[in-house]
Amino acid sequence: MSRVRDALRHPFWQAVLLLVAAWLVFRFGIQYVPPLFGVRSAPVPQSVMLQYMLTALVGVLLYVSDNEARWRRFKEPITATLVDPGKRRLRVALLVLVPALVGFMTYRQARPSVSAPIQLRSIHPAPPGEITFRGQSMRLTGLENPLRSGGALEEHVREGRRVYYQNCLPCHGDRLDGEGHFGHGFSPTPLSFTDPGTIAQLTESFVFWRIAKGGPGLPREGAPWNSAMPAWEDFLTADEVWAVVVFLYEQSGWQPRRWEAGGEGEGGHE
Amino acid sequence: MSRRRVGVALLALAWSVSLAVLGPLQAQDLTRGKAVYDRWCAGCHGETGAGDGEAMTYMLPRPRDFRRAVYQVRTTATGGLPTDADLMRVVDEGMPGTTMPGWRTRLSEAERRDVVAHIKSFSRFFEGENPTPLAFGKAPRLTAEGLVEGERWYRELECFKCHGDAGRGDGPSAPTLTDDWNQPIRAADLTRGWNFNGGASVEQIYRRLRTGLDGTPMPSFSDAVEGEILTEEQLWRVAQWVHSLSPERPPVREVIRAPRLDGALPSGPEDSAWAAIPPAWVPLVGQIVIKPRWFAPRVDGLWVRAAHDGQTLAVLVAWSDPSRSPDATWQEWIDGVAGAMTDADGPVPTTQGPDRLHVQVPLRPPEGLERPYFLGGDPRRPTYQWQWTSAPDAVREGRGTGLGAFTASATTTVQHAAVFADGEWRVQFARALAPADTAAAPAFPVGEAVPMAFYAADGSDGEDERRGAVSAWYAIYLDVPTPPRVYVAPVLAVLVTAGLGGLVVVRAQRRARST
Repeated sequence: MSRVRDALRHPFWQAVLLLVAAWLVFRFGIQYVPPLFGVRSAPVPQSVMLQYMLTALVGVLLYVSDNEARWRRFKEPITATLVDPGKRRLRVALLVLVPALVGFMTYRQARPSVSAPIQLRSIHPAPPGEITFRGQSMRLTGLENPLRSGGALEEHVREGRRVYYQNCLPCHGDRLDGEGHFGHGFSPTPLSFTDPGTIAQLTESFVFWRIAKGGPGLPREGAPWNSAMPAWEDFLTADEVWAVVVFLYEQSGWQPRRWEAGGEGEGGHE
Repeated sequence: MSRRRVGVALLALAWSVSLAVLGPLQAQDLTRGKAVYDRWCAGCHGETGAGDGEAMTYMLPRPRDFRRAVYQVRTTATGGLPTDADLMRVVDEGMPGTTMPGWRTRLSEAERRDVVAHIKSFSRFFEGENPTPLAFGKAPRLTAEGLVEGERWYRELECFKCHGDAGRGDGPSAPTLTDDWNQPIRAADLTRGWNFNGGASVEQIYRRLRTGLDGTPMPSFSDAVEGEILTEEQLWRVAQWVHSLSPERPPVREVIRAPRLDGALPSGPEDSAWAAIPPAWVPLVGQIVIKPRWFAPRVDGLWVRAAHDGQTLAVLVAWSDPSRSPDATWQEWIDGVAGAMTDADGPVPTTQGPDRLHVQVPLRPPEGLERPYFLGGDPRRPTYQWQWTSAPDAVREGRGTGLGAFTASATTTVQHAAVFADGEWRVQFARALAPADTAAAPAFPVGEAVPMAFYAADGSDGEDERRGAVSAWYAIYLDVPTPPRVYVAPVLAVLVTAGLGGLVVVRAQRRARST
């Protein structure tokens, strides 16, 4: 026990321990933080891991070299390994193992790897100020959903439900999570409306624009050639699109973003 | 005697107490269950549970009609009601191969329980009933002889009549199948386990064999077991045999690898050399982007293999299709499908066309990240396509500017061979890596991922040039010979590291000696 305690007081082993702990946190810990705030998460990618670990290493080195005595004690086991006649075996083992490891990693880097061409797209491209819908010009900026100020909302939700189930469901799904029965066949996969980063961030006029013009109506940075979203103006009337917008917000429980009082707000894009 | 009477009295007491306690609870459940149902289920199943929601004609099979209390996936005897656990399982996990999703991620357990109570309320058959599950026993150990026996019973029990000799749902009765609501229903393709309505494990398959899939033509074989036509173990062997027909759900990779072969390329779709090349699974889904949309595609994916020899690229595409279209025996089927599906985008064809497979790549190398529109290309960025049809068995080669917008070249440089057997098409294409005419066709560069996408249609299923199944963009990669640096670089790295390490040791020791 006391040997362990001694080792824990030794700056060299402290440094090693800190680095191992940092690696564990980066590799396994970080991905569980975003879900606490309801955001989707993924493991830290390899390249970022390397940056994180280098930062941690610099921090640890700053700590051990911070005072002279600690720095000397930190170097002791390293010098001993390099010099001590009693540590000859360890020395030889390291001299074999470390180059072998480097060789292996080089091989993994050099080995031809195949990856598909990168696909990038902007999530919420900037909307145009004005569009034509079935030949009719519409000013999007400052535009509110006309159904919200006319007729019974319940009727609009009912109509929107019909439109959704007959048109949107195969991709965006019963659960509104983009996992409809055809969703897996498309790339990029259909948007999840339950994700706080989608319709919750947008005005209803933005959503109207995206539905009306679909993938083909995306600006170039939106990679219109990949999106499977149809241009729904070919299928639906303006009222049907506005109704399905109402339904999306009702069913998902999100509130649409509103235009600022001045009318010239940020619009939908982030 | 008296003990029994006490028992009965106790039972009666328990019954009345549970009624008193559970009665109001049940009512409460139903109110909440109705709210959940109306919000999340009624769009397909209809507010009255008749399976006639707004989406009814936009899916095949259609949504379940709850009023008859006929359920496919049960643990109870055929003709019996499902247990609550059976219903709960389907609500939780959904029905693979259909449009029914699992609800675990969306609804709380209480909500799911309430909705099950509400679903049961659509039929009076459930009143006072407490269905009991069958006893299923355990699977015997999987053996090679067992599989042979399973296959023997697969034929003996005439499973092939619907499911076909190789299990691809292409049996002689397949074109005539309808469910209890007189809607067309497909015999399961047993090589696609991930689409089995009740799950793909041996245990789940065995349960379906014992309980049948009520409401569908799939019968229960419990009678055969009870009548000692076959033993339980032999029925388990059938389940194991069926299970063996399907791979696990194949992972989707974005890149189709075409290895470079030193010897000759495979000579045709049936060349055994193809077996050495791992296939890539390309999932296909209904074309629901432009008019006319198609909501019930037959082809759910393609197995794609490719290889090259530095001169020629060969691509083999294999997929399940129960008919070699057009086929008169499938006329009844196509009529049924046309009657079942929506005509929102125009009437579904009732004359059979050929089966189709389109393979497309960009006509010109993509500039930056831009590609042609994934649906056949666009006028600004056309695609180069191979369009194969089953009748006549021919490939047209040419330029696509959208789905259904295709101009065939005067000359064809792609060779093909197509084989149809046991409900599967295997079509091989071969073309020189360098095109004969660089304006009309792109080259297939080695060592570079080239975007590739697919389209497939079953002419006996109401499908044509637009009603069919599409894929997103994938990529094909023609392997390059391994460059020498792959082997040289690691050796250099080892030498340099070892040398540096040695240097550090020597210097440290010299310094130690000098102090």
